[in-house]
Amino acid sequence: MITCQGLYKNFKTYQKEPGFAGTLKSFFKREYETKSAVKPFDIEIPEGEIVGLLGPNGAGKTTLIKMFTGIVVPSGGTVNIIGFNPAKRDRRYRKKIALVMGQKSQLWWDLPAMDSFQLLQRYYEIAERDFKKRVGELAELLDVQKLLNVHVRKLSLGERMKVELMSCLLHKPEVIFLDEPTIGLDLIAQRNIRQFIRDYHHRNHCTILLTSHYMADVEALCSRLVFILEGEKRFDGDITTFSNLLGSEKNVVFDFENSVEEHPLLIPFDPHWNDDHTRVELRIPHNRLKEVTVQILECLPVVEFNTEKLPIERVMKTVMENPALLESAQREN
Amino acid sequence: MLSRTKYYLLLYREFIKTCFVEAMSFRLHFVLLIIMDLVFYASVFASVDIIYQHVETIGTWNREQLMFFVSFILSVNHLQMSLLANNYWELSLLIRQGGLDFLLVKPASSLFSTFLRRISAGSTLLFLVPWSCMIYFGNKLGFTWHAWVILPFLVLLAFMLTGLIETIISCAMFWMLEGVGINFLRMQLQQVARWPDFIYAGFIRKILTFFIPVLLIYNAPSRFLFDFHDWLVMVGMLSAVAIGWVVLFFLWKLCLNSYESASS
Repeated sequence: MITCQGLYKNFKTYQKEPGFAGTLKSFFKREYETKSAVKPFDIEIPEGEIVGLLGPNGAGKTTLIKMFTGIVVPSGGTVNIIGFNPAKRDRRYRKKIALVMGQKSQLWWDLPAMDSFQLLQRYYEIAERDFKKRVGELAELLDVQKLLNVHVRKLSLGERMKVELMSCLLHKPEVIFLDEPTIGLDLIAQRNIRQFIRDYHHRNHCTILLTSHYMADVEALCSRLVFILEGEKRFDGDITTFSNLLGSEKNVVFDFENSVEEHPLLIPFDPHWNDDHTRVELRIPHNRLKEVTVQILECLPVVEFNTEKLPIERVMKTVMENPALLESAQREN
Repeated sequence: MLSRTKYYLLLYREFIKTCFVEAMSFRLHFVLLIIMDLVFYASVFASVDIIYQHVETIGTWNREQLMFFVSFILSVNHLQMSLLANNYWELSLLIRQGGLDFLLVKPASSLFSTFLRRISAGSTLLFLVPWSCMIYFGNKLGFTWHAWVILPFLVLLAFMLTGLIETIISCAMFWMLEGVGINFLRMQLQQVARWPDFIYAGFIRKILTFFIPVLLIYNAPSRFLFDFHDWLVMVGMLSAVAIGWVVLFFLWKLCLNSYESASS
């Protein structure tokens, strides 16, 4: 369905020294350097799978999606998506894919979404009956029936993202590329969008490649995760393996009656304190959980505690600080 | 081929509809633009009329000939302003802010979507003004029926040539990124083209006829209509259009290959 081998992209950039003198210098002479946005990248995604593409800012996630959609031409490597090479921009390929960018909009700002949908109907040659049916279905799923005739500029960010998603799905794409679809949304809007994507995938069995800064998106939607760091694929496997990268540790949160000073008992477990030192979050190995918890309960004024799986955000932060962890995990996977 | 043509005609009809809906939602702005266009047409004709109150001829052309020439320019300019100009102004923003991404994933020619998407709705309504003037002065010049038949085709041919030249120039925005300089260059070339070619001499005239053939846009059709024996200029114009299409298709491929989009 989606395969690529040795796919890479280099960009030419130049550095400018600050100030007027630097500007003058770079006006006459620029020293260009080649930057690898994506280093030789291999991936295989079977039909109907949702894969989460994870990585910090500037890791190369969006560049990868732009190469997959044919927006940017790769510097090298091969890519095949549903039988097409995206760089050739075959019209038949473009009819089968959809792209949603959380930071950009394809809707006409000064028009109600319905007017933009009608333009898309022409682009994708959707028959009138199918179009009406599709708009009705999607509007109901997203609960936006009352928003379709409101000017896009008057919609909230969450509402706009809903109609944006609708616009991309009108033509029933086989492959959907979602680039940060929940960015900037409040928690409820994020949850609604996630719920919609999950339901839509369940009903349509399309292939989805999702990039996100919010780990909750990836956790809620994807069973498989690809982690990119500095343009390079560093992990490709199931989300549970990624969560267990730091070993079988548990995340334990202790709430204290009053402010507590740093305690030697807590130091080995990577303590994360809140501002007034009334709450601490610890990473405790599973086999020592009972023993350490009892000690803390005895020594410190604990009023409440709870245990949970280590949040994937913490895993990601740790592996970014220590990328060597990924190599061992990748070998095991 | 026929179904493709139908597809693009229907898509273009949708572009027109969408632009009208958008423009008419700003009612005062819509009306103001129409008034400004009317003032522009009036000022152009008034300028020529004032000149002819002081001289009998300019070069070999009398008042009616120059008035027809100006009407022809305004007819082509009307099409350019209504159908293309907004797209040129928007192109550099599309490139710098990555808005072009969405046009590139649509299942239609990216060249078509990029340069024909934005229509100046108010301006399109004023097509009667330059065409009425053109018919009025053509009548005064005693045009034969042959001239009347080919006149619409010559307007379309001139529109095509000006569109090709300006689109080719606008492609430079893919490398320059900032579009203001390119747009001013386009407008300067429009100014150069709006004069009878005999006012230019020697080397400059050759450059503006053969290299950047802006002098052919309005002069070739007008001269041909005034005197059918002057057919060689039309051969030059048709050649320029053919070469323009080849250059544009080649250049557009280069543009898309060099497009880096914008960071998200």
